[in-house]
Amino acid sequence: MTDPSLLVARREVIQRVRRPSFLVITGLLVVLVLAGGVIAAVVDDDSSPSHDVGIVTSGEPGSTDLEDLGFVSALTNLAAADDTDVVTTGFASRSDAEGALAAGRIDVVVDVGARTETWQGSIDDSLGSLVDIAWQASASADAARAAGLNDAQISDILSPEPLAATVIDPDDDDTVGVLVGFASAILLFFSITTFGSYVLTGVVEEKTTGVIEVLLSHVRAHQLMAGKVVGIGAVALVQFAATVAAALVSLRISGIEVPTEIWVGLPATIGWFIGGFLLYSTLFALAGSFVSRMEDAQGAAAPITAAFMIGYILVFTFGSDPTSTVARVLSVLPPFAPLLMPLRMVTGAAAVVDVAVAAVLLVLSVVGMIRLAGSIYARTLLHRGSRLRWRDALRRTESLTG
Amino acid sequence: MGRLHTVLRVDGVSKRFGATQALDEVSLAVPSGRIVGFLGPNGSGKTTTMRAIMGLVATDQGSITWHGEPITDEMRHRFGYMPAERGMYPKMRVREQLVYFSRLAGSGRVDAENAADHWLARMGLTERADDEVQALSSGNQQRLQLAISLVHEPDLLVLDEPFSGLDPVAVETMKALLVEEVERGVTVLLSSHQLDLVSDVCRDVVIVNRGRVVLDGAVDGIRRRAPTRHVVATVASGDVAAFGVPDPSWEVVGRAEHEVRLRIPSDCDAEEAFAAVAAIGPVVEFAFSAPALSEVFIESVGEVGRS
Repeated sequence: MTDPSLLVARREVIQRVRRPSFLVITGLLVVLVLAGGVIAAVVDDDSSPSHDVGIVTSGEPGSTDLEDLGFVSALTNLAAADDTDVVTTGFASRSDAEGALAAGRIDVVVDVGARTETWQGSIDDSLGSLVDIAWQASASADAARAAGLNDAQISDILSPEPLAATVIDPDDDDTVGVLVGFASAILLFFSITTFGSYVLTGVVEEKTTGVIEVLLSHVRAHQLMAGKVVGIGAVALVQFAATVAAALVSLRISGIEVPTEIWVGLPATIGWFIGGFLLYSTLFALAGSFVSRMEDAQGAAAPITAAFMIGYILVFTFGSDPTSTVARVLSVLPPFAPLLMPLRMVTGAAAVVDVAVAAVLLVLSVVGMIRLAGSIYARTLLHRGSRLRWRDALRRTESLTG
Repeated sequence: MGRLHTVLRVDGVSKRFGATQALDEVSLAVPSGRIVGFLGPNGSGKTTTMRAIMGLVATDQGSITWHGEPITDEMRHRFGYMPAERGMYPKMRVREQLVYFSRLAGSGRVDAENAADHWLARMGLTERADDEVQALSSGNQQRLQLAISLVHEPDLLVLDEPFSGLDPVAVETMKALLVEEVERGVTVLLSSHQLDLVSDVCRDVVIVNRGRVVLDGAVDGIRRRAPTRHVVATVASGDVAAFGVPDPSWEVVGRAEHEVRLRIPSDCDAEEAFAAVAAIGPVVEFAFSAPALSEVFIESVGEVGRS
């Protein structure tokens, strides 16, 4: 005989997955997260764009070979050092070059002979300074050469040994980590709230439709609760894991440099999600068993929602400084760990011992909560009429059905 | 009834909800392969008793046994239950729902699917198999509800108000179906607050009021033991208004131009009654009967109230 909890869980999975809303929301989340990565990749490309510089060579005495021009070689060297892509194109006349500028094929015209630069519309700051510095360098080299210095001497003067730079106590640039941490906290909050409320309304629906009586004539209350939480949790997990996987792919294709902790911390959010979901949805199931009408459901769940909301606010209060003592202490406490610890992990702020303690405490509280809820559930599930108070529910020693 | 083997026995069961004594030493016995009617007005304790049988209510005292043993979860898988409030998932498909409940009661997948198809056909719901339950008419929902209680081929059916909300044709269909199931060997305990509705399918009844059993036994026996008889007579001519009762224990309960209705003690027979009304004029119609179950109930409740 199949375990009744598995039958209950299976029913929940089938009923949830079949709804168009689940597929639409999951698809939307994955697409949005992937789109974020693609957009970031495109924006990132724009930050090191290719510049086209037109060189008018007609007025230059002697060589008209572009590579032989001091200015062009200086510009090419500077661009390479600056990780900027600069393409130089030679033009026989200034009017040809300005025609290309007007047509948008090149960004600037430099007339080496006339010592002019011509722009269309406005001066591009980064390219402008590159052109200016290249010009100074090549002019200085020309002057030095005219003064009788050889190439080695000129190179010594123009490219001195740079200052050796040392940074004491370097600032961590964990912006990406914090952003990913916030994003995962938002996703965790969204998923646990959404699917937790499915557990809540699912329990209330079984009470309002009366189906609970037929169910309980074959299944024990705690089996029913376990099946519901696991079934809806499995569906939630699929959506959550798909979004996290999309986020990993998205970060990879974005080309953004990310802290290495993210590659461990982000997949680990799935574990925090499982713990957080089990903890909160068990409470949601319990809240659902206190009421007989759908209108009362949210009221019964209010204390749980409030606790969860506090955790969410704490993420944004302490999240920007994930190494602080307060953040460290809060991230270990079971009600807040599922939201705070992922953020501390992806930013690299969490020590291994923090993670271990938080995980152990969360697992213990989940086990305790399931046991406690299972025993209360059997006594509250058949309750009818007005909403039970949490205090009364904990005190109940017998069923109030009638 | 003594020669019949009792399968379900509720013995001295009491249950108190706060200040309300819902059940006060309720006892009843259901013999194998019979339909027992569990009757009483709303709020008399029928539902609580049935929930106690299904393990949904913990009782304060007394025992409930199946074949002489306290009921276990395993035994309860062999029970079929139809609660008064009904209970189905409105958004679940019809066939899936039947398969689901069959499997919860312990059937394997293939057996559950075959049983679901069998019951869909029997209830005339095969074409609605993939519809959501909420799309069914209330009559079809009721049929599906009954199918859910039967889909795992239970040995005992506990039906709480199975006829409420049904039109007369549907009531007859459901009665016929129950009789068929009983012929298969199922034992049925069904409750109703419409006492006379079930008197033709239930040979035995247990009548409760305010948590106490006030009458039980075979329907015909209960009616026969009633202290009164009803007489309805129609005369072709004569002065009905001038008719006087021959004995103060007789009571005229109704008069029309050609009709008189009497309630007389049960120790008077039909001949005496006929002779009395024939004094008015030629009798063209005459009925002499034991009171209906509901009347017996009302009378017995009155006595309980006085004592």
